[in-house]
Amino acid sequence: MTDLDELSPADAGHELREQIRRASNNQRARRVLVSRIMMTLCAVAIAIAVIPLGFLVYQLLRRGIPVLSTTFFTKVPESPSVVAPNAIGGVSNAIIGSLALNLYASIMAIPIGILTGVYLAESDSKLAATMRVIAQTMAGAPSILMGLFAFSLFVQDFRIGFTALDGSFALAVLMLPVIAISSEISVRNVPATLREAGLALGAKPHTISMRVVLPTALSGIVTGVILALSRAVGETAPVLLVIGGGYLNTWKPLDPVSALPLMIYTNAKSEYPSLRAEVWGIALVLVAVVFVLSLGARIWASRKQQVRT
Amino acid sequence: MVLLPDLQQRDEEVAEFNSATSSRSWYHFLLIGVGLVFTLISLAFVGTILWSSRSTWSHVGTLIGGRGWQSPTGPFGGLAMIVGTIETSVIALAIAVVIGLGTAIAIVFLIPRRFRTIVATCVELLAAVPSIVYGIWGLLVLAPFMLNTVDPWLNSWPFARYVFGSPGQEFGTSLLLAAIVLAVMILPTFVAISREVISSVPQELMEASLSLGATRWQMIRRVVLPTARIGLFGATFLSLARATGETVAVALVAGGVANVQFHLLYPGTSIASWIATEFGEASGNELSALMALGILLMAISFALSLVSRWLVNRQRKVLAAV
Repeated sequence: MTDLDELSPADAGHELREQIRRASNNQRARRVLVSRIMMTLCAVAIAIAVIPLGFLVYQLLRRGIPVLSTTFFTKVPESPSVVAPNAIGGVSNAIIGSLALNLYASIMAIPIGILTGVYLAESDSKLAATMRVIAQTMAGAPSILMGLFAFSLFVQDFRIGFTALDGSFALAVLMLPVIAISSEISVRNVPATLREAGLALGAKPHTISMRVVLPTALSGIVTGVILALSRAVGETAPVLLVIGGGYLNTWKPLDPVSALPLMIYTNAKSEYPSLRAEVWGIALVLVAVVFVLSLGARIWASRKQQVRT
Repeated sequence: MVLLPDLQQRDEEVAEFNSATSSRSWYHFLLIGVGLVFTLISLAFVGTILWSSRSTWSHVGTLIGGRGWQSPTGPFGGLAMIVGTIETSVIALAIAVVIGLGTAIAIVFLIPRRFRTIVATCVELLAAVPSIVYGIWGLLVLAPFMLNTVDPWLNSWPFARYVFGSPGQEFGTSLLLAAIVLAVMILPTFVAISREVISSVPQELMEASLSLGATRWQMIRRVVLPTARIGLFGATFLSLARATGETVAVALVAGGVANVQFHLLYPGTSIASWIATEFGEASGNELSALMALGILLMAISFALSLVSRWLVNRQRKVLAAV
């Protein structure tokens, strides 16, 4: 302070301003540098994330495409032996098995799931609140538990053995909470004015629900169902324990069947290189199905939204 | 006197209207019925698995604290699986959160606006890839690479063998490989959720921060991340739940050996993958012990999911308040 006092007032202010500017320039340079460094680190992070994921997609295409053939899609598997290590047949049993499993699972899960969702959206009761928590918890449960559930119920208690029915039940339990939650959200998103308009016209609650609410919420519900299905198609753990891994093309619910993810799992552990190579083809088909389902759901949802607005 | 009949009639009309619109229609009973079916299935879900594990209830101490799994007869100790689950999922989570957070920030703030939707869609598609695909990639591509390149390199570091153990495991399958595969697998899930959380931070908050002279990183560090904090915790917990419950990917790459193992390059196992690998040959008491492991897994997953739902709901309230 003393040397500032010795100077004239104008000079003192000038000196102070200079000091402040220098300090802030220093600090600013430091802040900008830190910002640059951190944003570069983020860019590095995205690069690190892209490398393994891109590598995975690349491997899937490079090793998967050569496996695909008519035999692959139309023949049932053969057991390779030392004399014929490349006699592996196709995976038609797994394709049909996956279709059957998910068809039966959908038949079980979709009606109950949607109606549960509607109930959750339209009721304020304690039961509904409890069910909502149950649904959210079930949606996050590890999928192997659905397999254990189906096993203890169908194989241990009902004694019907390892069948497609067990597997589709496990997948249905997997899909159920997902469908219920997404249906609830779609029904809640229906504007209250539509419902009130229905009430004002004297419509009964089920009429309003069936003719006004459900059609309006349909696009959201369908999206949720497709996303649940795309998850179920790729799940290995729930079907691993209960479907028996049959080698025949069969649609019967009480036959043992195979499924695409199950074939991947068992073949990947095989000692035959031909079976391990085939795994990439099955995985490619599976990923393609999942991508088509989830992209389809997304496109469907966005198109319906544009139509409405 | 004249008004009375009118009022009565109106009461009747109101009652009729109420019975038509209120809870007593068949439609309401249908909904409640389906809701009860749903609840029943959920209760049966817990109940049947619990009941199937009944012969293990008297050995709960062994199941949680015991080492070693003597296959047909017992005792069935689950400590190796519990330790393996914690090791693999915590390491995977640490990798995925650090890289995933950077990736999410980069997607929201660095990628040009017109590519942002495409990148976000790609991330969500990758999150939908079935876990078995990550598993075979780990087993058939990553495991040989680990065996020949990464493991010797890690062990060339001084003192590394106290963490990793010595290399030369037969197939390259190890706890570390399981953790890496899990990290790659939960990365898209974590990025998808945290990208959504970060981009839902209100624009005004960021603009206010920038207008006060904050650099871009200061804005992210002081405004975006604190606002999105709870949602990011939610994303972390959901990813952790996915890693903990993952079955087939871990079953393929962890090696499937029931030893309590702290050296990461040795094979190990996790609760879910142990159930999957042992289930085929199990019967009697072993089956019941595996069911009890399932109950343990269920308890872990329910706890994680309740915490994460709670966090996400709190975040929603915070954003609504903003």
